[in-house]
Amino acid sequence: MASKRKNMILLSEMVKTDFKLRYQGSVLGYLWAVLRPLLMFAILYVVFAKILRFGGDVPHYPVYLLVGTVLWNFFTECTGMGIHAIEGRGDLIRKLSFPKYIVVVSATSTAVINMLINMVVVTVFALINGVTPSLTWLLVIPLLIELYLLALGISLLLGAIDVKFRDIGSIWEVLMQAMFYAVPIIYPISMVLETSALAAKILLLNPIAQVIQDVRYCLITTETTTSWELLGVKLGLVPIILCVILFILAVWYFRRKAPYFAEEV
Amino acid sequence: MAFNAKKYLEKLRSEALAEAERDGVAIRVSNLTKSFKLPTERAWGLKQAIFNRLRGIKGYKKQVVLSGIDFEVKKGEFLGIVGRNGSGKSTLLKLLAEIYVPDSGKVTVNGSLVPFIELGVGFNPELTGRENIYLNGAMLGFSNREVDKMYNEIVKFAELEDFMDQKLKNYSSGMQVRLAFSIAIRAKGDILVLDEVLAVGDAAFQEKCNNYFASLHGNQTVILVTHDMGNVERFCDRAILIEKGKIVKDGEPKAVADAYRKLWD
Repeated sequence: MASKRKNMILLSEMVKTDFKLRYQGSVLGYLWAVLRPLLMFAILYVVFAKILRFGGDVPHYPVYLLVGTVLWNFFTECTGMGIHAIEGRGDLIRKLSFPKYIVVVSATSTAVINMLINMVVVTVFALINGVTPSLTWLLVIPLLIELYLLALGISLLLGAIDVKFRDIGSIWEVLMQAMFYAVPIIYPISMVLETSALAAKILLLNPIAQVIQDVRYCLITTETTTSWELLGVKLGLVPIILCVILFILAVWYFRRKAPYFAEEV
Repeated sequence: MAFNAKKYLEKLRSEALAEAERDGVAIRVSNLTKSFKLPTERAWGLKQAIFNRLRGIKGYKKQVVLSGIDFEVKKGEFLGIVGRNGSGKSTLLKLLAEIYVPDSGKVTVNGSLVPFIELGVGFNPELTGRENIYLNGAMLGFSNREVDKMYNEIVKFAELEDFMDQKLKNYSSGMQVRLAFSIAIRAKGDILVLDEVLAVGDAAFQEKCNNYFASLHGNQTVILVTHDMGNVERFCDRAILIEKGKIVKDGEPKAVADAYRKLWD
């Protein structure tokens, strides 16, 4: 199909341009893709592992913390770019006829590239920290795909709403600030478990928490609590089902609204 | 049911295409109507939207931009569309280009249509002239390799050999338009749709552009939207005058140009 080929050309060129523009004019350039999460990690590490001593008995706590920050950063960056994608590319949408999801996918792709680079850094850190490589590392791939589907679903849904109601971006930012503390990134979930098993269960129903805990389990140490362990097999499926339902709903809504983006944006 | 409806629409579409092909028609527009929702009270945020809803204000009024538009463009025909500012010309063009969806009526496009609603769509001031050629080329559906092949011709036609490694923001507006135009004329499609892109560059460059348009005449289906009655009489086989969303004259370029001039009497 000729139009399919055109769409692929458009998508790949937009991905390239977005990535190129991202770090243009900065001295360290692409290095920032790696530096940003590392610096954020350094801050969290000093505050939570050294001063507040959250790490406790978690093995490889620094890597454990780094994985959490990298995945969380990916999620916020991805949704942050994705939600504003349609609005930000209004110039194209008003003048070209093409499938609008391309804009959202290209906007989120920079975050995906950054995350993949960061996961390589994480792996190097893990090896330095004495984590033994194992086959379970491969399970990280489907987990990352799940997280991207969640971020993409939210981007499509909120991005389509953002065309009419620009408040969505600000609301989402605040929500993410709150969510940061609801996801076991800086604190181990065992800390919550000690006070309330119910609270820990509710926190682990969140797909972001589920992915982060599962990645830690597969990559770093089995001495961590995952959604499966705490909720059982049936309830453990809830976060994944949430992701799928949200994604389907988002695609349905986006497709319904997309024909009118050109006149509304 | 839903599946059948989709199949039915597909069938209608292919029948309309077959009919157009039989009649030697490139574009057939029948009973086309389009209206926009214009916000009366700015509902640019969630707060206003909720307030308006509560007070029973719809927040928009419907404005009919085009109504009952009927016309055909034969294969190989050079059609001019003229009309005053705000008469609905550009909306019509965007409907032909499938950027907008009609309220009712039908647009049948027999072949591939390349729209130029504006020159240099997607141009980025932070990128170099060279990078922008590839980017804009992708917007027109050209892969990197295809642009490679025509790169030299594009630069030569634009007369910008010495400026390709400079950022676009350092170009004069005339230079930008020349570059955009040089890329645009590489586009190959069965139907070209052009929105007032004739008047670009200095006198010498204008001459080149006019030669290009003259070369299209007779070989290509072209729809040209313009204010310049000289160009209508020079290039077009037929013209349409639109006034207040309706076709008021359809016929010889000379007669249409006269009718257009009379609008001010």
